[in-house]
Amino acid sequence: MQKWWSIMFFLMIFPLIYLCINRVFHAIVMYITMNVAIMLVFIYAPTEKMQGIVQKIFYFHVSSAITMFFAFFLVCVASIMYLWKNSDWWDAIALSAAEIGVVFCTLVLITGPLWARPIWGTWWSWDPTLTLTLVLWLIYVAYLMLRIETYDPKRARFAAVLGIIGFVDVPLIRWSVEKWRTLHPKPVLIQEGGTTGLTSAMLLTFLVCLGAFLLLFFYLLRERISVAQSRHALEVLRHDIDEIGVG
Amino acid sequence: MKNFWYLFAAYSTIWTALYVYMIRLSQKNKELQAELRDLRAQLERVLTK
Amino acid sequence: MYKNSNSFITLMSGSKIFLQQVRALLAKDLKTEWRTREIFTSMFVFAVLVVVVFNFAIGADTELIRQVASGVIWIALSFASVLGFQRTGQMESEEDSLQGILLALHDRSALFIAKMLAQMLYLLILVLCILPLCGIWFRIDFMTCIGELCATFTLGMLGLSIIGTFFGMIALRTRACEVMLPMLFLPVSIPLTIAAVQATTQLIDGKSLRDIADYLVLIGIFDIVFFFLVIIVFDYIVEE
Repeated sequence: MQKWWSIMFFLMIFPLIYLCINRVFHAIVMYITMNVAIMLVFIYAPTEKMQGIVQKIFYFHVSSAITMFFAFFLVCVASIMYLWKNSDWWDAIALSAAEIGVVFCTLVLITGPLWARPIWGTWWSWDPTLTLTLVLWLIYVAYLMLRIETYDPKRARFAAVLGIIGFVDVPLIRWSVEKWRTLHPKPVLIQEGGTTGLTSAMLLTFLVCLGAFLLLFFYLLRERISVAQSRHALEVLRHDIDEIGVG
Repeated sequence: MKNFWYLFAAYSTIWTALYVYMIRLSQKNKELQAELRDLRAQLERVLTK
Repeated sequence: MYKNSNSFITLMSGSKIFLQQVRALLAKDLKTEWRTREIFTSMFVFAVLVVVVFNFAIGADTELIRQVASGVIWIALSFASVLGFQRTGQMESEEDSLQGILLALHDRSALFIAKMLAQMLYLLILVLCILPLCGIWFRIDFMTCIGELCATFTLGMLGLSIIGTFFGMIALRTRACEVMLPMLFLPVSIPLTIAAVQATTQLIDGKSLRDIADYLVLIGIFDIVFFFLVIIVFDYIVEE
């Protein structure tokens, strides 16, 4: 029953985002969803018995993590399309998705320890997913730095290549960290038990949060793409003016 | 409410980060649009001269 | 503009011209290196320095040093290899000889393969020089598992060379290339680091090939996946 609910919810989200063609409409839908999400998290969702109120971090923490993975996947796809079609639009998508992905990645890396500290007693536990997030952060921050630091006009190509390599590396990193982890002692839970599993109320809350984050992601993506395209248009204009001035 | 401050810290970080980023983006957008308008006007003037 | 043939297909077909060109480029690089011995010397000295400093940093506990030995060796190799990748990429940047070489090539990825093989050779020789020193300083007997160690290090150095040579050529075009190369190359090679260090540690502890088979498989998959990925995208990097 729960599984069908979540699948249906997901299938509804993407057409909704696609229908938000109008920027204002998108902003309104996002605003409403965010508000509903917050209400659900703090008022509707039951407080978990074992972990207490800190468990509520989970809703936004995991939503950020999923959005971040989606963002980096989008970078990979956009990079492949850019190398194939050589169109600036795909390059703008790759850059924007990478930047927003890094923002969400930083959020995951901050909320993760804030959740782990009261539950496990330590700030960091080298958990496979969190470690993967850390490595991805390093790779995509290097992506952004590569964009800024390269003076070669092929910088978009270099970045595209890094975008593809970074994402292809993910399963390898995941596998190797899991093997490595088996040697690392797991931290002992301060509060006994741990999660007791998601009730249906929690699942609904989580899905709404995830939807809100995805809508937010697409909104930020839209804004960032327009910044990237304006910058590019500016460059072209400046180049034109220089040519006319010289000629 | 045990551990409330952790919850508060987590949520306020998320909000602050997202808000700052959104505001920075819209400001950047406005600046760039203004610059584009100016440059286009300049180009018009140079062309029509 | 003359469109070079698709690298992947050429590689697969094993065309004769391709192999000849790879051999020629490799010979050129090795000859240059043999005359100056610049790259290898700097790599060796740096690796030795890293091992010695780590030794002092960890302290006098022999048991502890034995446990972290493989990690220290691998770090020394990684950081020394960064030096090598930079220099290898720089060899063609003087007087813009890169364009000349690319025009002469039937297939551009020959340049990459030649450089990668040269780097791998330097790294393997570096391993041969460093291992005895580490055996003496850390009091580890590498001879008991020398066959498996060779396999591990060969696969590991192959992986490092593939990733490092590729990012070396990219990082060369950035303003802060000494910073960018480690930033690009170290995170991507983390699976390699984890697997190689674990395999070496277990080999030193006396485990057999069967125990480390998982790690070797991981390194092998890493090598294969990235080799083909890099060959496919290499054209895009050097095309004007």
